[in-house]
Amino acid sequence: MKINTLVISLTLVSGYAAASDTPVQPTGAMPPSAQLCVSCHGAQGEGIEPLGPRLAGLSSEYISTQLHHFQKGIRQNATMMPMAMTLQGDGIEQVASYFSAQQVKTQVTPLIRGKQVTFADDTARLAYQGDWSRGLPACVTCHGPSGLGGGLFPRLAGQQASYIKTQLLAWQDGARKGDVDGMMANVANKLTAAEVDALATYFANLK
Amino acid sequence: MKYSAMLLLAATGLFTLQAQASSTEQAPERPDKQAPLPSFPKMPEQTYLTPRPLSAIPDGAFGDKVRLGYQLFVNTQQLRDKYVGNELNCTNCHMDAGRKANASPLWGAYFAYPAYRKKDDKVSSFEERIQGCFNYSMNGKAPASGSPELVALSAYAYWLGMGGLMDEAKISGPVPELSDTELLKGAKREDFPLPEGLAKVMTVEQRANLPGRAYPEIPKPELAYSPERGKEVYVAHCQTCHSVDGQGQAIAGVYALPPLWGPKSYNWGAGMHRVNTAAFFIYENMPFGKSMQLTHQQAWDVAAYINSHERPQDPRSKGDVKQAQEKYHNDSDYYGLSVDGKVLGTESYPVFPKKS
Ligand code: HEC
Ligand code: HEC
Ligand code: HEC
Ligand code: HEC
Repeated sequence: MKINTLVISLTLVSGYAAASDTPVQPTGAMPPSAQLCVSCHGAQGEGIEPLGPRLAGLSSEYISTQLHHFQKGIRQNATMMPMAMTLQGDGIEQVASYFSAQQVKTQVTPLIRGKQVTFADDTARLAYQGDWSRGLPACVTCHGPSGLGGGLFPRLAGQQASYIKTQLLAWQDGARKGDVDGMMANVANKLTAAEVDALATYFANLK
Repeated sequence: MKYSAMLLLAATGLFTLQAQASSTEQAPERPDKQAPLPSFPKMPEQTYLTPRPLSAIPDGAFGDKVRLGYQLFVNTQQLRDKYVGNELNCTNCHMDAGRKANASPLWGAYFAYPAYRKKDDKVSSFEERIQGCFNYSMNGKAPASGSPELVALSAYAYWLGMGGLMDEAKISGPVPELSDTELLKGAKREDFPLPEGLAKVMTVEQRANLPGRAYPEIPKPELAYSPERGKEVYVAHCQTCHSVDGQGQAIAGVYALPPLWGPKSYNWGAGMHRVNTAAFFIYENMPFGKSMQLTHQQAWDVAAYINSHERPQDPRSKGDVKQAQEKYHNDSDYYGLSVDGKVLGTESYPVFPKKS
C-alpha cells in the first residue's frame, strides 16, 4: 500500500518535471497532491478565470484554513469541496506550502492609508476610508495597503473580479463562513449589489 | 430636534463633570498630561456631530494645513524617528481619522481646550494636549510648540468640528480661516472667533462637552477584572488581528493591525495603559468592525490582560519604578505591580527608540 503510493507519487513528480522542463528541486517542487489543482488554479497558482482563483500571494496559514473549511462544509462550493477532500494526511500542509511560495507576477506599489486625502472614485474611497456612518470599516485596514494581504487576511490586489464578487455574495447568502466572529461577513453584509461589483473590479485592477 | 438632543446631553455632561471634579480633588497630585478625560455613559438614540466630507476642504494655504493634518493623523508613521517612536498612528485609537463618535474624536476635543487645571493652576492648550499623545501614546518626542505638524493637526481638528457645528446650526459657507496662533490654542474660550450666529446657539461649556467626546464610560465590572479571564477573551476575539503575541501585523511594512503591548506600542504614560480607559475604548470600538459585542466584564478583563504586559517605559520615570508608581500610577493600572513574578516597569522598553 505504502510503497504503491510512493511509486505513484514519484511518477507524478517526474511526470510533472518532464512536462514543465524544469529539474526536480528537493524543495519548492510541486508536491503530488497539488497536481490535481493545476487544471483550475494553474501550475504556479496564478489562477485560471473562470475555473479557479489565484492562489499565489496567499499565505500558507490562510490556504490551509480555507481547505479545512471546504472539508468541513463551513465554506460551501460544489467544485472545490470534493477537491479539498482529496487532501489527506499532510496533503493540506503540502499544497499550502507549495502555493504560498508562488510569487504574484505583477508588482503593486502599495498606497499607504492616509497618503491620499480625497478620492474622486467612490469605490476607492470605500476601500481606503470605509463608510463609518454604516459601520463599514475600510477594506485596506484589514487587508493591508492596496489589499496586498498577509496572514489570515487574503490578498485582494489583482485577484479575479468574478471571484471577488462571488465571495462577497457567498457571505451575503451564508455559503461562506468560518471567518473569526464573522468579521468579513459583517462587512460583506453591509455592501450593496452595486458596491460588490465596483469593489470587485477595483481590487482586480490593482495590479 | 437633533440639535436640542445634543444640547440636552451637553448640559447633563456639564453636571456630571462638576460632580467628578470635586471627587478628584482629594486625589494625590499627578502632573499627568494624560489625565483621564471626563467620560459619560452612552445615551441611547444619541445623535452626534457629523463633520463635512474631506472633499469639502477648501483649496489654498488654510486647506493645505487641514489636509496635512489628516495625512499626519492617519499616516503618523511618516514622522517615525522624527517625533514618533513606535508603530502606531493617531487613527488607531481615534478611529475613522479622528471622526468617529465615542472613539475620542478630534471634533469633540477641539472645543474642550484650552483646559484649565485647578490643581497645578495651569492651562493646557490644544497643541499641548496633542504633544501629550506624541510623548506617551506614540512613545516619541513631541514636535515643538508652534511647529507645522501641530498647526496642521490643530487645523484639521478645528475644521472637522467647526464644519459640523455650522451644519447643525444651518450656517452655510466655508469654515472661517484662522491664524496659526489661534488654531493652536483650541476653542474653549470666550474670545474664540466664531461665525456669526453660532455663539447664540451654544455656550462655550456646551461646545466643550459635545456628545460622543472621549470613550463612553461603562459600569464597573461585577467581578474584579482579571488578566487570566482576559486572556481567554483575547484568544477568542482579538488575536486574529493583533497576533498571538500582541504585536499586531504589518502588511507592506505598515502596521494596519496595530501592536497592543511590547516595544512597538504605547508607553506606560499613555492614557490607554489605564485599564478603565482601555476598557471603555475596547467595549465601544473592538473587535474592529464590531461583528460582535463584548460584555462589560469581557471588556474589563481583556483590557487588564493587554495592559499587564511590558511596554516602553513611562518617560516621567526617573529610573525608580516604585517612585514613579507612587507618583503617577495609583489607579487602575499595572505599572509597578508584580505579574508572573516580574514587576512591570522594571524591564520596560526604551522611550523613543530609532527604528532599526
Ligand atoms: C475543478 C476546478 C478546481 C480544482 C481542480 C481545484 N480547485 Fe480550488 N477552487 C476552485 C474554485 C471554483 C474555487 C472558488 C470556490 C468558491 O467560490 O468558494 C476554488 C477555491 C480554492 C481555494 C480558496 C482560495 C481563496 O482565495 O480563498 C483554495 C485554497 C483552493 N481552491 C485550493 C485548491 C487545491 C489545493 C486544489 C488541489 C487539491 C484545488 N483547489 C483544486 C476550483 C478548483
Ligand atoms: C474587519 C476586517 C476586514 C475588513 C474591514 C474587510 N475584510 Fe475582507 N476579509 C477579512 C478576512 C479575515 C477574510 C478571510 C476570511 C476567512 O478566513 O474565511 C476576508 C476575505 C475577503 C475576501 C475573500 C478573498 C479570498 O481570497 O477568498 C474578499 C473578496 C474580501 N475579504 C473583500 C473585502 C472588501 C471588498 C472589503 C471592504 C469593503 C473587506 N474585505 C474588508 C477581513 C476583513
Ligand atoms: C494608543 C492610543 C492612542 C494613540 C495612538 C493616540 N492617542 Fe490621543 N488619546 C488617547 C487616549 C486614551 C486619550 C484620552 C485620554 C484619557 O481619557 O485618558 C487621547 C486623547 C487625545 C486628545 C484629547 C481628546 C479630548 O477629547 O480631550 C487629542 C487631541 C489627541 N488624543 C490627539 C492625538 C494625536 C494627534 C495622536 C497622534 C499623534 C494621538 N492622539 C494618538 C489615545 C491615543
Ligand atoms: C478585525 C481585526 C481586529 C480585531 C478582531 C480586534 N482589533 Fe483591535 N484594532 C484593530 C485595528 C485595525 C485597530 C486600529 C484601528 C484603525 O487604525 O482604524 C485596532 C486598535 C486597537 C487598540 C488601540 C491601538 C493599539 O495598538 O493599542 C486596542 C487597545 C485594541 N485594538 C484592542 C483590541 C482588543 C482587546 C480586541 C479583542 C476584544 C481587539 N482589539 C480586536 C483590529 C482589530
